[in-house]
Amino acid sequence: MAAAPVKTLTVAEQIQQLNAARKIVLENASYYDRIVKGILPIIGPSSPVELRRWGAEFLAESLSSPALGNRDKENLTVAILDTLRLLVESPNEDPLVLKASVIAAASAYPIAMRWIIHNSYHKESWESISAIKTRILRIWDGAPTPVKICCIKFAQRVILTQTASNGMEQKMGGLDVSLSMIPPNHPLLDPRLLEAEGAGLLDRLLAVLQDNSSDALLVDSTLNTLAVLARTRPSTTTRILNKVLDFNPLKLANSPLTPKTKVLIKSMEKTTRSLLIHLFKRDPNNPLAPRMQQQIERLYGQRRDILDESSKKRAFVQPPAAEYNDAKRPRMDGGAAAQIQQRPPPPPQSLAAVYTLTNNPGLQSFDATQVPAALAAKINVRTLALINPAVLEQALNAIRIRFSTLYAAAAAAAPPQPPAINAGTAPLGVDEDDDDYEPDFYAAEDTEQILNKLDSAPPEVPAEDPAASAALAPLGPFKLQPPQTVNPDLALKVGQITSSRIFGPLPGLEEAAARKPKAGINRLAASSYDRDSWLTLITRLATRSTAALEDFSIGIKPEDPGNALDRPRTSLSNLIRETLYNYILEDWRRRIEVAVAWLCEEWYNDQLTKKSNADAPLHYEKWALRLVDGILTYTTAQDKVLTRFLAEIPELSRAVLGRLKSLCGDPTKVQLALTSLLYLVMMRPPVRDIALDTVADIWLEYEDARPLAGKYLLKWRPGFIESQQAQGGGAAPNTMIKA
Amino acid sequence: MDHANGTANLASAAQTGQTEDAPGFKLKLCTVCASNQNRSMEGHLRLAQAGYPVISFGTGSLVRLPGPTITQPNVYKFNETSYDSIYRELEAKDPRLYRANGLLNMLGRNRVIKWGPERWQDWQIGMPRLKHEKDQGSEGMEGGVADVVITCEERCWDAVIDDLLNRGSPLNRPVHVINIDIRDNHEEASIGGGAIVDLADSLNKIAVEERDKVGAASFDSGSAASRSGFDERVPDVLADWQERWPNLPATWTLAWF
Repeated sequence: MAAAPVKTLTVAEQIQQLNAARKIVLENASYYDRIVKGILPIIGPSSPVELRRWGAEFLAESLSSPALGNRDKENLTVAILDTLRLLVESPNEDPLVLKASVIAAASAYPIAMRWIIHNSYHKESWESISAIKTRILRIWDGAPTPVKICCIKFAQRVILTQTASNGMEQKMGGLDVSLSMIPPNHPLLDPRLLEAEGAGLLDRLLAVLQDNSSDALLVDSTLNTLAVLARTRPSTTTRILNKVLDFNPLKLANSPLTPKTKVLIKSMEKTTRSLLIHLFKRDPNNPLAPRMQQQIERLYGQRRDILDESSKKRAFVQPPAAEYNDAKRPRMDGGAAAQIQQRPPPPPQSLAAVYTLTNNPGLQSFDATQVPAALAAKINVRTLALINPAVLEQALNAIRIRFSTLYAAAAAAAPPQPPAINAGTAPLGVDEDDDDYEPDFYAAEDTEQILNKLDSAPPEVPAEDPAASAALAPLGPFKLQPPQTVNPDLALKVGQITSSRIFGPLPGLEEAAARKPKAGINRLAASSYDRDSWLTLITRLATRSTAALEDFSIGIKPEDPGNALDRPRTSLSNLIRETLYNYILEDWRRRIEVAVAWLCEEWYNDQLTKKSNADAPLHYEKWALRLVDGILTYTTAQDKVLTRFLAEIPELSRAVLGRLKSLCGDPTKVQLALTSLLYLVMMRPPVRDIALDTVADIWLEYEDARPLAGKYLLKWRPGFIESQQAQGGGAAPNTMIKA
Repeated sequence: MDHANGTANLASAAQTGQTEDAPGFKLKLCTVCASNQNRSMEGHLRLAQAGYPVISFGTGSLVRLPGPTITQPNVYKFNETSYDSIYRELEAKDPRLYRANGLLNMLGRNRVIKWGPERWQDWQIGMPRLKHEKDQGSEGMEGGVADVVITCEERCWDAVIDDLLNRGSPLNRPVHVINIDIRDNHEEASIGGGAIVDLADSLNKIAVEERDKVGAASFDSGSAASRSGFDERVPDVLADWQERWPNLPATWTLAWF
């Protein structure tokens, strides 16, 4: 094998041996380790240039080979670092050797970095790779261009390695090695220094765009390294995008347009646009996305203007290759208009056939639905702009005549039939009355537009095909099939999906921008598309959605088990309620307003329900209790929001306030419970009595709460404590309830 | 490393006794069209005949060939269907039609070039390609990389570039990606094949010239920083080529594997 350099061999013979060795590793990657280590001595800086070239290229190939696993690559990298360092540091090195060495170094850098992260004792490797980095970054500016572009790539790999990742990259070729992998207390690697170096290098990398260089090779090679950075290293994204958006690839167009400048302009423009499209497609929500889209369109337009002759004229210079071109062109000429047949095609006529004016069989079988709508629109606009008005007029008349012929025939055949046109087809411009005829369409395109509208019709196929019978021209009314009847189970299932989807937009909607002044009673609910409006919509959907569907009353959710059809509907409201309940509890401190708003709606509906139908079930109490229960489970002593909640909900019952008692089981929450009650006593006179009753109950049941409860009772219900003490001589608290 | 194959080529050529007309270094090429059937395969064949290491791919989602009508194409999966099986299937379906429209002729040519259509997006760049010895142009492609990729349609070029950007260039290897707009019919493919070989010859010529300039980069002394190299001269070559082939608009960029 090549591992034994024998001095008597000529260089050519040695290379032949090396090639044989290369074949072996290509066949079986497990030999890489042995063979690479074996050839290191013969490819050093003192070897003949052919051997150095071969060696450097082989190293680059080995380090990037996808056939090798991470572990094998690490071993290999550590073994060759010294040789690689000699190659890049050797003065006056051959450019091809240097180029391959820099490529190898670019592959080695992240691999070495990962190895050093896990083997911090190995200072030598870090020194070697640092020396290689320093050297390459130093020769970057002065190197011949082919080497320079590889320096650019090397710098990109350094940035990639020394910037925090978002984990979106593919886990191959060391692309996933990033700053995030370096522990903060690594003895050799200081993440902050590395990050700063990476940021500096990114600026240097982008300088070629900043300077608006016209060196297409440098510009292209830089642009083509940026995608992975922008996608997977979030801290670089904005900087890269700004530089790319500011870059003007068409600057060269101001100089005389030689064949070479055309190549360069086209290249830089296309590369810039490709990068922007690539990034735009993968991150359409980026704040810079509108600018990207604008720039993409702008570049496209400018390029077309500048390089017009090379891209557009070709279509005219070239003889039309496909036969339908032949068919299309004559129709544009005025003379060819005579070809238009006014007689309708023989029956059975499809709508498409009625609109088909050409005699060319190839064109007739062309399925216009295959053309994307956007493209069709473009073609239409262009064609309409260019078409000879006389030809258009003739084509329109031909269609008109065909229709009147067909109607006449149909009327003769079936006189009692009602008028054949109804709303279903009228918008298509198929109208008996010529005055209503919309001449907006170019006849040749109508086939496709009609087919688009007749979405129930299958794609057009040649009329002789029996499968096309569905598309045959039924010039009578067009009716959609009635929908299938929905059974309760299906309705329930669909209802569930719907109700869960109602909550979908919530996280995405913005908070109502800075509290607007309240509009008072004139407020229109849900008039602005923010989160509040949406929640209003949801609460009303939950409480009133059945109102319009039920004829007997507003807001009733009949839970009559006998009527199977009502069940899904009823459940739908409750389903939304349930989801709303969960939504509130997810973050109840901040969503307490939602809870209050919801309960207000429930209460209001209950009132309406009571008025119209005394038997209908009421919801307010049930859901108020559930909410209070839910909230109390998570309440801490500091949650003053509870006080507010109790103060704001429309109706308080003994049951609701009774729930507060349970709070007093925890001595830290006694204060909260009693303060809330005191607030009610002071501010809501209608419930003063039941609130005081609750305080009294607390006084009776919880000894820990007595001092504070006693204070309030003393003020608001004088004589109560005395009467109790008189009765029970200190009335031992009811320990059973307390438990 | 790209050039390792040149020497590999030389060595293997020496073994097979073709030394006298083997000019030494050969660029490794890759041709790409939508279905890896017509244009890229014409290019593949012509380049292989001219002695270049070459592979070819399609960028479409499926291999699509014309059928009895425009709405009924014959559709096959990439990488799983051989040219031979497509040939036999179409021959069984309607030999007259498929002979008349040239499909059988094309497939007959393709099945002696390589096994079946391959999809660009599924290509593992850099994976050794040793199982393709019977393919034409396989010699020198063992490393599984190319120096120049030639696409035959703008949207194929777009697909190739987008895919390369997506892969994130793990190999750090520069690659020239050149689009030549060739219409998808047999005549134009044949003309385009000639143009592709012309381009390859022009590019290879400068690559050989640059390789022959053995010596110091001497940028350390700052005297010869303007020294040109292969990559740098590609746009010049392309501009000259475009003058010779004005009806085949070309686009170029330097991308990364």
